Amino acid sequence: MHELLLFASVPTHQHAELLQQLAGLTAMQPRHCFERRLIFKAYRKPGVANARVGASQDLQSGDLQRVNKMLNGGMFYTQVVGPIQSADFADAGVTDAAANASANANPNPVNPDPDTDTKMDGMDSESSIPRSAYDFDQQSWQLEFRDIPEAGTRSAVTSRVMATAALPRGDIVPSMNAWGYSFVTEYLVEGDMFIHNDIVLNLHRVLHYPTNPGEENQPRRQMPTLQQMAPLEKSGSYVLQASMMVQDGSNQETMKTASQHLFGLREQLKSAVRLEMADRLSLDTRVK
Amino acid sequence: MPITGVYFIPAHPNASTALGNITERLRSSFPDEDLIQLGRWTLEQKLMRDTPGLLPTSSGPNQRPSKPRYMQFLSLSHYYNHGFIYTSEPAEKPFHPPNAASPSPAATPATPRPQGAGAGAGAGAGAATAGSVNDSTTSNISPMLMTTVPHSSYSTLFQHFTYACQPFWCHRLTVVVQNGVFYDIGDFRVRLGDVRQTYPTNRVRGTVVEIEWRGPSVIDSLDGAVTSDVNEETDSGVDVSLSALEESDIDAEFAATALLIREFWGRLGVEGAREAILVPGVGSEVKERLVKLKGARNGLSGPTEDDPDPQAGADVARQYLEVLRFNR
Repeated sequence: MHELLLFASVPTHQHAELLQQLAGLTAMQPRHCFERRLIFKAYRKPGVANARVGASQDLQSGDLQRVNKMLNGGMFYTQVVGPIQSADFADAGVTDAAANASANANPNPVNPDPDTDTKMDGMDSESSIPRSAYDFDQQSWQLEFRDIPEAGTRSAVTSRVMATAALPRGDIVPSMNAWGYSFVTEYLVEGDMFIHNDIVLNLHRVLHYPTNPGEENQPRRQMPTLQQMAPLEKSGSYVLQASMMVQDGSNQETMKTASQHLFGLREQLKSAVRLEMADRLSLDTRVK
Repeated sequence: MPITGVYFIPAHPNASTALGNITERLRSSFPDEDLIQLGRWTLEQKLMRDTPGLLPTSSGPNQRPSKPRYMQFLSLSHYYNHGFIYTSEPAEKPFHPPNAASPSPAATPATPRPQGAGAGAGAGAGAATAGSVNDSTTSNISPMLMTTVPHSSYSTLFQHFTYACQPFWCHRLTVVVQNGVFYDIGDFRVRLGDVRQTYPTNRVRGTVVEIEWRGPSVIDSLDGAVTSDVNEETDSGVDVSLSALEESDIDAEFAATALLIREFWGRLGVEGAREAILVPGVGSEVKERLVKLKGARNGLSGPTEDDPDPQAGADVARQYLEVLRFNR
């Protein structure tokens, strides 16, 4: 599958106005969404490639060439994306004690221990993160692979190979590790989504988690409060992304039609924002 | 999740397979049963190997041959909701993030763990993954990790690995069972089919036989307690209160049923078969389920919109993948 894209930068002061304009254009209310985005990096034992080149007799040379070519093939960062609700964030108004009290209100047969309360109280002093009803084991995920945008296209849109696949719920790290990917870090995307004919419009910004020691090496099992999340772009500006998926990227005709639809949208939004293609290297997903 | 056993009888290329012979033995060994074909089934397995392992091993004395790593994709028509991905666990942990399972002592107190996460690593491992137990039987192969993915993802993920992971995964072969048939014989359901290799070349590989125990089983009562829609067909005659059930009981149940399956297979008297019944990791989903049921945690890998039980069939998938892991 291919993805065609145009981007625009939207300063904070224009955000509310653009939301209304897009709602008018698309005749729909914005769909507010949050996405957890986990970044995984393809890994390979260093030094394996080229270590034993030329020492072969038993493998047919054609086969060996193919294997060597594969060993030197590209490796990529890929993302695992999970939608969450605003209710999944720890509520700033709920203190640890209150959250624990509500948790204890549910009879919990795992721990029929009458000392639970005192144990929990002991934990309060250590944890600074309020709780929420967020259940990591039920978190749904999908793998989102995006190739580096194609080079040398004459068209003025960003075009890249993409793949999206649903994954099992819960802790996805063991599977990803076995498949050859290691967890790097995670961030959150907050934004509003619109659909305009065959184009998906996303007005979003990237939020960083508050750093807590010991949490960087694995996906968080709990969410902080939304207030604790800090925008990556300090000015708080947003990115408008217009995207379109094409099933068969080798079909020049459909690719052309898709680009033209995006250009049509660009014209319609010309007075509000300037949609343009992205710098190819800024969207480079290759592992170097 | 029924208890099954899988047998594979290899055949020489261009020779006839054992399929006809087995069907005939079924008929003659169980003269009281009507051998009526109940339906058809299909299977597809795509086997990938680690690309570095395909390089010829050097004769240098200080280089020990690395263990081959596999990633096997399996799709079964009797579990059409999802596909199975069975992957060798990484030999060494990825270098930059430290292993999640063993946080450094300094990090532990600062990390508030959700309650009950420590109750069992398997239980905390989430939806459809389950670590396989360490295996002593297949010593040259590292432990395998079973992941079930929605059926829509099955081919997308395979394409992803062939496209974006060439330095570490290489598609080696595809085998299929296209026209499998199944019969009910007493308390058993028997699935038979010829295994054909379709990639890289077309050739016959052999015959695969799956024997499923459909009689009363403790495991069924567990299934009934989990899924709200109790399967009428497998109405379990065993009445066991769940609280009395231990993991060792499940192991015993698997061992006892394995004996029944072996006895059934023995009656056929077919020689030269590879057997997979109590393969590493078999029953781990059932045990995970028991742990969760007992704890009554809401972390059950519950039904999703289009899949009533995302983990169903993981055991039989393991068995198929053990016998179909051809060396290439």
